[in-house]
Parts: sequence; structure tokens; C-alpha cells
Amino acid sequence: MIPLLWVELFKLRKRMMTWLCALILVGLVILVYSVLWNISGRVTTFGDHHRFTSEQLRTALFLQTSVPFALQMVGSLGIILAIVLAAGAAGSEYSWGTVRLMATASSGRLRYLTAKLVIVFALVALGTLMAVAAALLYSSIITFTNSGFGFGFVNGPYLRNQLESLGRTLYVITPYVCLAFGAAVVGRSTLAGAGAGIGAAFAEPLIASLMRLGGEPWHSMPRYFMNANAQIILQQNDLPAVLPRFTPGGEDLHGVNSVEEAFLILGVYSAVFVALALFAYSRRDITAS
Amino acid sequence: MGVKKTANTSVVLRTEDLSKRYGRITAVDSLNIRLLQGEVFGFLGPNGSGKSTTVGMMLGLIRPTNGRVLAFGSDMTLHPWPALKRIGSVVETPAFYPYLSGYDNLKAIGMMLGDIPAHRIDEMLELVGLGSRARDPYKSYSLGMKQRLGIASTLLRDPELIILDEPTNGLDPAGTREIRELIPRLAREGRTVFLCSHLLHEVQEVSDRVGIVRKGHLVAEGSVDELLGRGRYLRLRSEDNGALANVMTAIPWVSGVEMLDGFVRAAVPPDRAAELNRVLTGHGIYLSELAPWEADLESIFLQLTGEVSER
Repeated sequence: MIPLLWVELFKLRKRMMTWLCALILVGLVILVYSVLWNISGRVTTFGDHHRFTSEQLRTALFLQTSVPFALQMVGSLGIILAIVLAAGAAGSEYSWGTVRLMATASSGRLRYLTAKLVIVFALVALGTLMAVAAALLYSSIITFTNSGFGFGFVNGPYLRNQLESLGRTLYVITPYVCLAFGAAVVGRSTLAGAGAGIGAAFAEPLIASLMRLGGEPWHSMPRYFMNANAQIILQQNDLPAVLPRFTPGGEDLHGVNSVEEAFLILGVYSAVFVALALFAYSRRDITAS
Repeated sequence: MGVKKTANTSVVLRTEDLSKRYGRITAVDSLNIRLLQGEVFGFLGPNGSGKSTTVGMMLGLIRPTNGRVLAFGSDMTLHPWPALKRIGSVVETPAFYPYLSGYDNLKAIGMMLGDIPAHRIDEMLELVGLGSRARDPYKSYSLGMKQRLGIASTLLRDPELIILDEPTNGLDPAGTREIRELIPRLAREGRTVFLCSHLLHEVQEVSDRVGIVRKGHLVAEGSVDELLGRGRYLRLRSEDNGALANVMTAIPWVSGVEMLDGFVRAAVPPDRAAELNRVLTGHGIYLSELAPWEADLESIFLQLTGEVSER
């Protein structure tokens, strides 16, 4: 298994797509910080119904909230990049025809696919940390230019809270990565994986809105959707209300599911998608290039 | 003629009633072949005859509908890995990662296989003439270079069985000759080579044994000499070929009498050619031609498959 992990890491590390995804994510973080910082210096009030002052916005961009804000960006906008990475990692093997090469050189189909999925997750986690690092760096500049450095907020509970936020964010990304990966394997193409993943990320909130208008049994169905449960989990991250959450659909999720139910539902989704991918890859003939 | 087999002729791969159906279409039908250690086995068949499906099943990539493939004692459907470690293959068009260099592609394969030293990658690239382009991306390679890299990747694991599907496709004449010289050399080293090719003269030149497949059936299998009927058939001609064929049919030690275009072909023990001439003269038939039958694999192939050559 270890050699398979190294090979997958080697292949993805050498691939332009991997670095491009990381670059876009870091660029996105820098762009959002730049826009919000600029806004905080140009307006006196901010947000819906002018709820917040520019001072509140500027303070929210300080070092203390940089981790949850970066994670919020990763958990919403970054999901698309994770989907592209996962779909590309699995689907390209079919379009290049290398799926045959790997199948005859690896020590087992399931091991090979598992190794690939593990490395995709590792790179998604690494990308998340890069986004956090970019946010930390940028917010350090903002903090320093406004009030000077101060690390009094860094204590045990704070660090634990950040780690929990990181865990929640990665957990929320997981079913989307598994969906993209599984669809790419079942559909034997990158497009199938990217289409399924991005389609789910964008279409789910729209369909959920429609279903909620339709009365029962439609009304309660969206509570089992990935997006609704992902947002329930991400809401646990300690993010100041002044900062945007970039959530598609803008649904009211209050009382829909408990956090535990949301964790369970997303876990089931992830397990099903992975099982489908492993089953399809292990049982099917490997023929096409 | 290719290499001479060594004394050791153990079976390295065997198919047992191997069949593959796709819905109503039978791609491979009860195929039974054996590959012996150190031999070059040529596998011939027209397009759609089931060659690639057979290769896919041999490598455990395609599940047989019936039957099985046993390679080095392992069932390739159930436990392919122990055998795959000992098999090198280039199936159809070589496929590698386009963004990686030739060297990095081999490095990735080497990492998967484990225990492949770095210097072996360089040796293989030099062997196939890609040493100077090793660091260039695979996507910049010509078809011939891709084919060479495929062969390098095949040899990387020092395989005991090598499966080559159209190995000279895209190669220039010099490259083609190198591969034709390489194949018997590999067999002389004790490796078995399974060669799929539509180039009949190529197969004839390097193979010890040949299997011809048509619509999933193995229609002929044997040594090249056996298939060509070398030393077994005579080519005869007289003023009246019909009378000649009639007389020969009645001779008990003559068989396979066949009227062909302007001559008669028959299986005659080589040491009885003079006797045959005497018998025919006794029947008032005077031969204008009596010569050993010289066929090529292409004519045998066309005769057995009843199809136009892929060439």
C-alpha cells in the first residue's frame, strides 16, 4: 500500500492541475481579504440592512478570526476545487488509457483506488492548510497595520476550536470529493466526476428551495441533502456574523437536523460513494482508453 | 525462423476453455492455448477476432464469461497479482501520463512495482534509444518513441512473460528491425513472448509457434513449419492437372491432394518424391514441375480466416 501512496502522490505532485487548484484557492483567499479590507476603508456600514460598522468588518479580518474565515471559504468555494481535483485524479486515468497500465502494475485494484483516494484527501487537506496559511499571512498584515501584533487570544481552547473547525470543514468536503471521485470511476471520465460533484454543489440548494414550496412529502426531503447538512456543520465554526459565509441558496437551516444527524448523513453519503467506486472498479472490465 | 527453444518447456500461461461474451456477441469462444517458457508465440487474427479481448483476459483486465487463464499457476481472475509481477505488457497503443517525462513515467511504474533500482530505468531508456529524450514530456513523443517507451516499461520489471500487442506499430524501419531482433533475444534469455501482430511476415520471422484466431475461435495452432507445411507438400504440374490429381488421389501414401491455380498440391513424404514421379510416369503422366511447396503465413492466414488481410 505504501508504494501505491507514493506513486499517487508523485503523479499528482507533478501535475499542473494540482498546483493550479492550490493557486486558485490561495488566490481566492487573498482576493476576498483584499476586497473586504478595501470595503472596510471605504464605507461606514456593511451587510444586510447596514447591520455592521466598517470597524466591525475590519476587526473581523484580524488574525483571531482568520482560521475560521479561511475554512469557511474552503468549505464553500473551495469545494469546487476539491471536486475538480478528485474527478481529475480518477477520470484522467481513463482518458489517458493509463488505467490499464496501473491495473497491471499495482498490487490489487482496491488497493490502487484506495491509495488514490487517500492521496486526494491528503492534498485537499494540504490545500486547506495552504488557504489557512494565506489567510493568516494576510490577516497578520491587516492586524499589524491597524493595531499591531497581539497574540493574547492564543490559548488552549482557542487552538482546540481552530482544530475542530478544520476537522468540520474537511468532513463537509468529504462527500463531495467522494461523489466526484466515484462518478469519475463509474463514468470513466473526468467530466462525469466534475459534472456530478459541481452539479450537486450548485443544484442541491436550488432543488431544495423548490421542494420546500411543494408541501409534503417534498418539503422534508432537503433535510437529507448534502448541502443542507454541510451548512449545519459549518455553522458550528466560530465565525463573526459580519463575515460572509458564501453559502449557496441561503437556506434557513434552523432546526432542520441536529449536528449529530448532519454528521451521520454526510458520513453515509461518503461511504456510499466510495463503496460504489470501489465496487465498480473492482468488478468491471478494464478496456477503454 | 526465430529462436530455438531451450530444453525447459514448462507452461507459463494456459487458457482453459476461455470465453468472453458481450451480450449476444461472442468475442472469444472456448480458447485453449499454452505458452511455453522461452518461446515466441505469434497470435494472429483479423480485426474483431478477439485478440485484444484475449490479451485483456490474460492480464486480468477482463473477466472471462467462462473458462480461466492460469499464469505461473495463478488464476488471473481471482489472484492476478503474483503473476502480474512476472508479466510485462504493452496492450494496444502504449498509454502513459502525458505530463510526465519518459523517465518519470518509468519511475512511477518502478515505484508501484517496488525494488526497481533507478539505474535500471536509465538502462531501459538507453536500450530502446530514448536516453537523450528521457527528460522530455511524454506528450512530445512521436508514436514510435511512445512505442519504445512501452517496450522499456515492459522490460523494466525483468518479466518472464512479455505480451506485446503490435510492438512495431509506428516505428520506422530501423526501429522495426531492432524490435524484431530484440524479440528472439528476449526468448533466448528464457523469457516467453506473446506477440500479437497484424504483420504476418513479422510473426513468421520471429515466432516459434503461431495461433490463428477467427471470430473468437482458435482455427490453427502449431509451429510455423507445421502451419506452412514445410517439407510435407509438393507442388506438381503436368499438361493435364485433372488426370494428375486423380492418379495421385489413388496413391495410398499421398494425401491432401488439392487442385490449385495451375498446379496440384499434395502431401507426400519427402523421401518418396522420386517414387511418385515413377508412378505417375507409369500412368502416362509426365510432370513439367515437381518442387517443394513454399507457402507463406499470409496465404495460410487468409485460407484459414477466409478474410482479407489487415495489412
